[in-house]
Amino acid sequence: MSTNNIAVMGRSQGMVREARHLLFTVAPGALWIVIFLVLPSLYLMAVAFMSNGPYGLPQMPLSLNSFKQLAGVGFLGWSPGNLYTLLRSLWQTLVATGLVVLVAYPLAYYITICRAKWRPIMLLLVVVPSWTNQVIRTFGWMNLLAPGTPLSNAAEVLGFIPPNMGLYPSNFAVTLGLVYNFLPFMVLPLYAAFEKLDTAQVEAAQDLYARPARAFWHAVFPQTLPGLLAGIVLVAIPAFGMYVIPELLGGGKAMMLGNLVATQFSGGSNWPLGAAGAILMLIATFIGLFAMRRIGKRLGGGEEVVI
Amino acid sequence: MRKRTLKRCLTAFWWITLVFLYLPLAVVVLFSFNASNSAASMTGLSLRWYHQLLGNEQIMAAFGNTLVLAICSSVIALVIGCLIGYGMYRHRHRKLGWLIVLIYLPIVLPDIVFGISEMAFFVQFHRLTGLLQPGLGTMVIAHVTFQIPFVALIVYSRFVGLDPTLFEAAKDLYATPVKRVVHFMLPTIKPALISAFFLSFTLSVDDFVISFFTAGPESATLPIYIWGAIKKGVSPEINAIATLMIGAVAIAAAISLLFSRKNQHSRKRQS
Amino acid sequence: MTDLTNAVNTTERLDREEARVAAADAAARGKRGASSIRMQGLRKQFGRDSIALAGVDLDIHAGEFFTLLGPSGCGKTTLLRILAGLEEADDGQLTIGGKDVIDTPPHQRSVNTVFQSYALFPHLSVRENLAFGLKMRGVAAKAREAKVAEIAQFIQLGDLVDRRIDQLSGGQRQRIALARALVCEPDVLLLDEPLSALDAGLRSQLQVELLRVQKRLGMTFVFVTHDQDEAMVMSDRIAVLDDGHIQQVGPPQEVYERPANAFVARFMGHGNLYRIHRRDGSRLSTEIGTLQMDGDSQGELVLMRPETLDLKPGHVEGPNHLPGTITERLYRGSHAEFRIRIADTTLQATVNNRGRRLPDVGDEVTVVVAPEDLVTLSE
Repeated sequence: MSTNNIAVMGRSQGMVREARHLLFTVAPGALWIVIFLVLPSLYLMAVAFMSNGPYGLPQMPLSLNSFKQLAGVGFLGWSPGNLYTLLRSLWQTLVATGLVVLVAYPLAYYITICRAKWRPIMLLLVVVPSWTNQVIRTFGWMNLLAPGTPLSNAAEVLGFIPPNMGLYPSNFAVTLGLVYNFLPFMVLPLYAAFEKLDTAQVEAAQDLYARPARAFWHAVFPQTLPGLLAGIVLVAIPAFGMYVIPELLGGGKAMMLGNLVATQFSGGSNWPLGAAGAILMLIATFIGLFAMRRIGKRLGGGEEVVI
Repeated sequence: MRKRTLKRCLTAFWWITLVFLYLPLAVVVLFSFNASNSAASMTGLSLRWYHQLLGNEQIMAAFGNTLVLAICSSVIALVIGCLIGYGMYRHRHRKLGWLIVLIYLPIVLPDIVFGISEMAFFVQFHRLTGLLQPGLGTMVIAHVTFQIPFVALIVYSRFVGLDPTLFEAAKDLYATPVKRVVHFMLPTIKPALISAFFLSFTLSVDDFVISFFTAGPESATLPIYIWGAIKKGVSPEINAIATLMIGAVAIAAAISLLFSRKNQHSRKRQS
Repeated sequence: MTDLTNAVNTTERLDREEARVAAADAAARGKRGASSIRMQGLRKQFGRDSIALAGVDLDIHAGEFFTLLGPSGCGKTTLLRILAGLEEADDGQLTIGGKDVIDTPPHQRSVNTVFQSYALFPHLSVRENLAFGLKMRGVAAKAREAKVAEIAQFIQLGDLVDRRIDQLSGGQRQRIALARALVCEPDVLLLDEPLSALDAGLRSQLQVELLRVQKRLGMTFVFVTHDQDEAMVMSDRIAVLDDGHIQQVGPPQEVYERPANAFVARFMGHGNLYRIHRRDGSRLSTEIGTLQMDGDSQGELVLMRPETLDLKPGHVEGPNHLPGTITERLYRGSHAEFRIRIADTTLQATVNNRGRRLPDVGDEVTVVVAPEDLVTLSE
């Protein structure tokens, strides 16, 4: 009996030591993230349910006004401006993600069929531009698409744009900027998927289906799907909340949700409205992550899909 | 036959994409040597923008801020992230789902939500307590927050790749807990620490949105300065600063290429 | 004439070499104090219902090559880890060299381990690996170098000392791991299946080498293995473990020839175990037939080791003569193994190939066993 007690005590002492170790190593980082990110985010969510005070700062009482404003209800009745911004964000995200997939898919495949010693360099070449600051990259596009540049002149001659307008600011410039910005995020996971490709299956499919298109659809595409999904998560979620690119390349008529939110804070005009927009963005983010996880699980790639 | 046509098409596509990826950067570099003021035409080569750069106190201050911010935040994130990475490894058999969620949170949160949350929090905190006035301090805090997860994950994956009996061998060979850290753990994960530091540094220099919302009036970094200059109407100096930053990235890329080459060689020799 | 001088010189040189080695060994033995180990009631449980050790009492003598033998999951590795201090016992006593070490952390025990995976530090060179333990103990750099050089010569590492860890083969890593543990001159050396990752040829070569090292140093070795052949070749004594209990402790010959119970018998490779139905003095009536033993016996099973059996052609009557039919023959060159159907059971017999005609499948034979070769035991 007594020896048993001693044994239990010894074990619980060990557990206490382990728990203290866990606390000592994990607590600083965990607390840091809780204090400087979780609490601020919760505060932001709370702000969305407060009313707008002077200087745009939130105040009591609680209200749902901010969400009404987000839907376009203002002092002067309903206006579609905010709704357009929302729809534009969704549309831009969809188009940009689709285009990124179309460019990245053949690119990733091409890298895998090149000689092994070139592949790391090729990947590096694709990734390096994203190491430069986003503002600088976008500034480069401003230089390229401004009125009077060769690209703008060519578009003018071909009749795509009216004279002296330039390709930016426009929705087109925003799409281009998004595709440019997110291309590497799609190439890397797709490349990883192609590299793991089971060539035996592909060869079997080539035997079974005469046409290469069918072989691709039945043998290659399903195997790259986990990589594709990972890429879509990595592209679509940040694209939906993008701020810099629409702000610089878009002008007033190409605003996205990120700009709507940022304006409420930087101009100091309406924190609750901005917070409501941020909540919308968070919901979209978590729906995206959750959906990808579910689809990924069904495909069997489960864990690796969500990064 | 058809295969070869496909490969040729892909090769062409590869080069077109490369042009697409590097054209905007090339334009910035080219215009930084432009003799004229105009952004639309090149009239000759000159270094005048670089000379102006050196004389511009605001730019020099922004440069200093960028460096201080990147170094301070990377060092703090390295210490905290390293601890958390080791804790995750050591206690990996426990249920640490909450910790994983916490660690992925800064990665998945959209930049803009991240930035305005911190800004709203810092502003109100400052109003209530008088502490944490927006400036370099708040920027360091925000940067550390998004750097921690990357450091933690890099360190964690390095530990997971180790033979777990190495830890026991160190104990068995008379290493006290402190000596185990100094003579075994730190030297073993040194490559991971180096790459984690460089990644943190790069993330910090690359960041604009989060810096923008947590900065104070005196703490503009280079990206914030460039942003402001673009918004005010382009001054050609921006091309020169941007070119210098692109150059730094190019050097970093070359170093990382050398590193991966070296690793490949040693791996080859191993097998 | 010259041939003769050469021969004389060679023998002289060999003599001198031997004398030098003997002197070095004596010196080494003097420095390394071998320790005895005493375990009492060691108990260890993982989780709620997985009992690794269910109260182990065991004495290991100083300078002994002692082997913990058993199937995987029997608790042998847990026991070794408790000796090393890498695992804490839930209950029980442990003394090494008379000192109570149950609460001593591993880095304060004069015990070193050779790990199954070798656990060589990848960030250090071979030389630094060898010196690691000494450095941690605070031995000065000069003395460290001398000891590393000494051990390198002792284990005959040659130029391996200057290599990187990733340039070593499995066998080389094994020897470095051994040297790294030995250079600390521990009271006890623990070896956790150190040869299991090597191929058969290298394995038997290193078995011999390990044994030689242990004999020359006179150090206490505790060796863990699941391979009964390896255990028998190397050990002074063997403890067979199963299910957290010690089943038998004794010298290899005793454990092999007189297994204490059915588990030990089966684990040592014996299949010919038969249930005893009735006892009539020293006469046993068993499921395979009537057998005559020397003197009295206990237990409900009788064991007939295959190599103690004789085969006679045809059916012959006599005491301890069992008539049967050969159902299987495995010819192995030096000997042959037979499976023989007797009554309702089968029996295995091994016959040395001495050039006589070996019986074939289908032949009728009589199995003869001497009364003194029969062993009775309980389940």
